[in-house]
Amino acid sequence: MSDKTIRFKDVARLSNEPLASLSADDLMPIPGLEDLPPLPAPRAKWLETYDLSLDGFSDLDIPMPKTPEEQERLVRGFLSGLEKLLDPQNNWTFAKLFRLSLDYCLHCQTCSEACHVYLGSGRQEIYRPTFRSEILRRIYQRYFTPAGKLLGPLLGADIEVNFKTVWRLLELSYRCNICRRCAQVCPAGIDNALIAREIRKLFSQELGLAPAELLKKGTRQHLRAGSSTGMNPAAFKNSVEFIEEIIEEKTGKKMPVPVDKKGADILLIHNAGEFLSWPENPAAFAILFDAAGINWTLSSELLGYDAVNYGAWFDDVELARVALRHVSIARELGVKKIVIGECGHAHKAICVVADRVLPGDLSLSEIPRESCLPLLWDIVRSGAIRFDPSRNDFPITLHDSCNVVRLMGIVQPQREIVKAVCAQPLREMEPHGVYNYCCGGGSGFAIMDTLNFSQWRNNVSARMKVKQILEAFGDVLDPGIRKYVIAACSNCKGTLRDAINYYDLWEQHGIWYGGLADLMVNAMADLPGPYLNWNEEM
Amino acid sequence: MVFEWFTVIFAWASVVIFIGAAASQIARISSMPLGLRWEVYPIPHEARDKRRYGGSYMEEVDWASKRERRSFLAEIVEFLAPEAIEIGAEILTMKKVRAHNRYRIWVFSTALHWGIYSFIAWALLLIVENRVNSAALAAVAGVVGVVACVLGAIGAIGLIIRRATTPDLARYTATLDYFNLAFLAAIFVCGLISWLGDPTLAAHEAYIGSVLSFKPAAAPWAVVLTFLLFELFLIYMPFSKMLHYIIKYFVYHQGLWDDAFKVKGSDTDKQVIEQLAYTVTWQGPHIVQGKTWLEEAQTAAVEGDKK
Repeated sequence: MSDKTIRFKDVARLSNEPLASLSADDLMPIPGLEDLPPLPAPRAKWLETYDLSLDGFSDLDIPMPKTPEEQERLVRGFLSGLEKLLDPQNNWTFAKLFRLSLDYCLHCQTCSEACHVYLGSGRQEIYRPTFRSEILRRIYQRYFTPAGKLLGPLLGADIEVNFKTVWRLLELSYRCNICRRCAQVCPAGIDNALIAREIRKLFSQELGLAPAELLKKGTRQHLRAGSSTGMNPAAFKNSVEFIEEIIEEKTGKKMPVPVDKKGADILLIHNAGEFLSWPENPAAFAILFDAAGINWTLSSELLGYDAVNYGAWFDDVELARVALRHVSIARELGVKKIVIGECGHAHKAICVVADRVLPGDLSLSEIPRESCLPLLWDIVRSGAIRFDPSRNDFPITLHDSCNVVRLMGIVQPQREIVKAVCAQPLREMEPHGVYNYCCGGGSGFAIMDTLNFSQWRNNVSARMKVKQILEAFGDVLDPGIRKYVIAACSNCKGTLRDAINYYDLWEQHGIWYGGLADLMVNAMADLPGPYLNWNEEM
Repeated sequence: MVFEWFTVIFAWASVVIFIGAAASQIARISSMPLGLRWEVYPIPHEARDKRRYGGSYMEEVDWASKRERRSFLAEIVEFLAPEAIEIGAEILTMKKVRAHNRYRIWVFSTALHWGIYSFIAWALLLIVENRVNSAALAAVAGVVGVVACVLGAIGAIGLIIRRATTPDLARYTATLDYFNLAFLAAIFVCGLISWLGDPTLAAHEAYIGSVLSFKPAAAPWAVVLTFLLFELFLIYMPFSKMLHYIIKYFVYHQGLWDDAFKVKGSDTDKQVIEQLAYTVTWQGPHIVQGKTWLEEAQTAAVEGDKK
């Protein structure tokens, strides 16, 4: 079906043919990457089992409902969940902003041009920030408002809710990174990204439907095993030993990493993915904190070593459970505050969103939760460590994590650090800071690799970021010049790792990525050699 | 005479209904529970040096202990005033539409909004002029009225055409949206016709006088129709999304710009504790039935989880 002819009521179409078909020719061009391969078609076997009728992509390896009873149950559950979403008490966490966003959107489409998914897709209608919101709005009007029941078509309340509508809406809620750039530019303050999140929440909290990486292998595993990576406390302790080996290898010094140290000033919590995929990052933190004389500790308690909180993306109950555990661990350890390592959504979850699900003694005033970035800048400013910027004499650009920048207003510390520890001036992406574009991995996409979802991520949601990176290094694209993209966020790093591989940016252009702490340690004058590994382990 | 009495009573009723309905909408929204923090930067009430680039207090180490309680005056000057200025700038200039909208609606949208503001100003000027009987005011009212009707008509009709002829906009524009714009266009076009028939505004002023003094009097049909339509619009507006200018306070001040962190024992803390006592009614398999939000948060593992 041609994208231009899509009508909202097409979401109810019972056919398995995708509502929109993506082709490489339709996508936003990336200068310098003209000869990209066509998008692979989904496997025939998947089409027999799963529902890919939105756009031919999916992360949901959940068999589609086959019998009329199963389909009816899905529809009933959806409508029941929507009723709860609209109810101020059942949805006290977000009801106000959600209802206002549903009721007062003026359909001016100002938000569309702010969305990297919409632009990256070559302006496919189904990815417009207002498209999914409008479908939900029309359903809400038709089924839950007297005016909609009475005057349905006049209000546009013309969408029938059947199991296909429900499933496509579920898929649509996972075509938004919830970066909230759309809310930033909306003249009325309407938050279409929040609507996407609330749709996800409806499915999770009422029906238990969510990508396995977020719920089953995400928050459920996090709460049960201690980490969404599956890492248990014993495995964490092994990781710490491995980090100590890295430190010794790089610094020539034996340095025990403090774990479960009662009464430390700071409990540092990393995204546990760092221990597995980028252990040099937690090692860099340990080196910096030790050199700066900071009294800190890691925790080996269940959840205490994994800062992620996937609930922030799709489920308020899971958000509250994880946050409560994190803060309780800090309280039991008697630390003065929690500092979050380089993980964007973990920053936002514990410092901002979960603030009002934790009562009394667990309030932010009692156990402060802070970003690592101001602390790292404080270390540089203090002069406790001697940095030699000439050790970082290569082109550098900075990817801003949406959660840290647009959603927390932490913009300058990381830039001041780069200024202090790098030889070359920072090459800002355009736009940057609070107006940045998402890496394409936000709100869980970085870890969603089931079926063919990573194809969609690399081709659509990460597309704008790849373009920005290439533009930032436009005059130094020679692969002989090593270039570094700073991503002070685990999920952003994961997305960049995949995108760099997918677009062959290391081989073609010498572009690599890594954390900020790693870059700082690389500039430490006392270190016997370079700290960055670039692509050596690949 | 019955019709003339109707116009007087309807005029007063429209104002009363508008105030009552808008207040009721405000009360309904105000009574909704305190939501979680969900701010988006830049936030106008941040410190001036940070506001410049969208920074926040969270850029500081130990920010929780550095935040000082503001005095009432500081709350207004440093907090509410910058927010009001930002919202006011958007209302007056529609700068976000101008900067980010690719469908060339800024000119029409701005014209429509200024038409509405000017029309309200015109009505107020006529009221004042009726009380003070000033020739200068009458002259100003004459200009404002024409400007209001011309701008408003261009804006409303331009938006109808733009929405109907731009597929990306037409898809999202329901019949009711066209009706709203047509309603506004009708007011402005009628206003223009009434002005053409009464360029000195003497009949307009007399009509306003009859309403204010409860002394019904006949008036030209165009004058009566203009004001009847405007009064009807006043009644209708609080029930439509055209109330968005009031809603902005809640969307921004209590939503996108609400960056206040929670302090133990504060009013916010008490309200959160109250809300955490609500029973969770969601039915997902990972949710334990019958528990409050706080109890639910304390329940990590649930039945059915793999051990």
